[in-house]
Amino acid sequence: MRIIDFHAHLDGWWLDKPLPSAADLVAILDRYDVEAACVYTVMGFYGDCPRHNEALAERCLSQPGRLIPFVTVDPKLGPPAVDELERCLANPLFRGVKFHPWLQAFACSMVKETMVAILRAAAEFDVPVLFHDGTPPYSTTYQIADVARWVPEAKVILGHAGSADYTDPAAQLIRDIPNLYGCFCGSRPGDLVHLVATAGADKILFGSDFGAGGGWELLPERIDNVTEAGLHPVDLAKVLHANSERLLKLRERPLSSRPAALQS
Amino acid sequence: MTERFRVIDAHAMLGRETYLALDADELLRRMDAAGVVTAIARPMGSGLVVDHRAGNDLVLKAGPRIRGLATANPWWGVHALDELARARDLGAVGLFLDPARQGFFPTEEVARPLFERASNYRWPVMVRTGLYTFADILALVEVACKFPETPFIAGFGGYADMWFELPESFGKVENLYLDASMMWGDAIREIVKTYGASRVLFGGAEPRNRYAVNLRTLERLELDESARRAILHENAARIFGL
Repeated sequence: MRIIDFHAHLDGWWLDKPLPSAADLVAILDRYDVEAACVYTVMGFYGDCPRHNEALAERCLSQPGRLIPFVTVDPKLGPPAVDELERCLANPLFRGVKFHPWLQAFACSMVKETMVAILRAAAEFDVPVLFHDGTPPYSTTYQIADVARWVPEAKVILGHAGSADYTDPAAQLIRDIPNLYGCFCGSRPGDLVHLVATAGADKILFGSDFGAGGGWELLPERIDNVTEAGLHPVDLAKVLHANSERLLKLRERPLSSRPAALQS
Repeated sequence: MTERFRVIDAHAMLGRETYLALDADELLRRMDAAGVVTAIARPMGSGLVVDHRAGNDLVLKAGPRIRGLATANPWWGVHALDELARARDLGAVGLFLDPARQGFFPTEEVARPLFERASNYRWPVMVRTGLYTFADILALVEVACKFPETPFIAGFGGYADMWFELPESFGKVENLYLDASMMWGDAIREIVKTYGASRVLFGGAEPRNRYAVNLRTLERLELDESARRAILHENAARIFGL
């Protein structure tokens, strides 16, 4: 069973708590046969995105071929956020964009002009843009799904596919908006059954949220949430691996297993 | 893993709600497959929100291995209290409220008669927590402080992002318990380590979750035998008077 984790974190700290290192993260991925993980900053949500983007890339380079960094920028800054996004995406190491509007303190509608420019840039680089979703006031599933309608050529991912309380809205919105996808990350097997039945197995991706606290046990538990849903084997493979491979273009651009210098 | 004690599921759901459906026969099949001897069930869907008699009958007449938590919408006033009396006669072992689905803050005056009735019946009260506004976990804590003799169970443990308020609350309120049915392992470990295994109840959250997921989550915590027994059996037996 091949697995790619589309939603994990890699940073030194979350507030006052230390987080697993890149080596720790990969050791746990190995234990559960996870090929690779998309990783996002944590402290970068609170400010100084360029420094955190650099740090994230360096951490990923220490474990070649296993950790896939996503860029985070602060859209409240306006055009400099787009510049930072383009600077990072020019480096092929970065394969996506991550926002956490709740922690980053913006509603997308408040920064629509910049967000549209960001989504267009991401579309030009053909990388997915994942948003935390499922929690008010800035990250309800409806708020995030609406963003996908602004730039139809962008690939927008609901980072928790509705999380605890928005599963059914997520399922309907993913079904109805062609460029909207759902990362099944934190919800439970009964929720996954509904997401796949409603939105289709091609639009749901596995994620764990591992690496932002929660202990090593989070990864196998989140895998259990998928494997215990009783999906058809073809759908299971899509959720656990094939959809991520497609959105990240891993066949066209395989991950390098060799150490490489950070490009800027 | 086969336990040397009778595993009790403290939180199952019967009925139909949006995309979830479970009847007693299917719950029993899942219990047998997982080695769960007894389940505490509450209604979901219309049986939870408006049609209490049907919802309560579903969980209270499901047979000896499924025991029921009765529900009534506080806005039904005296009729809600009448329904709780009927449910007690049918063998209900506690009260379940879902402030988000039923539309009230736990601290609102309209809810108070139900908490008083549960206290009179010596019932534990499970309240769904985790949704913002009505199901704010700290609203439950406020009520638990006013009824110190009544065990209050944080249904779903504030899942997902209101979990952060729960550990601090456990330190303030001794009659507060964790329904672990939707919780991740590290959260359960933190409560056990800080406040003891006596504050945690195993739950399946079927049909949303699966027994296999939650039993493996507990296994990975490598708790000692007494903690496992407390979480999987003793706490529920004591709180629900089984």
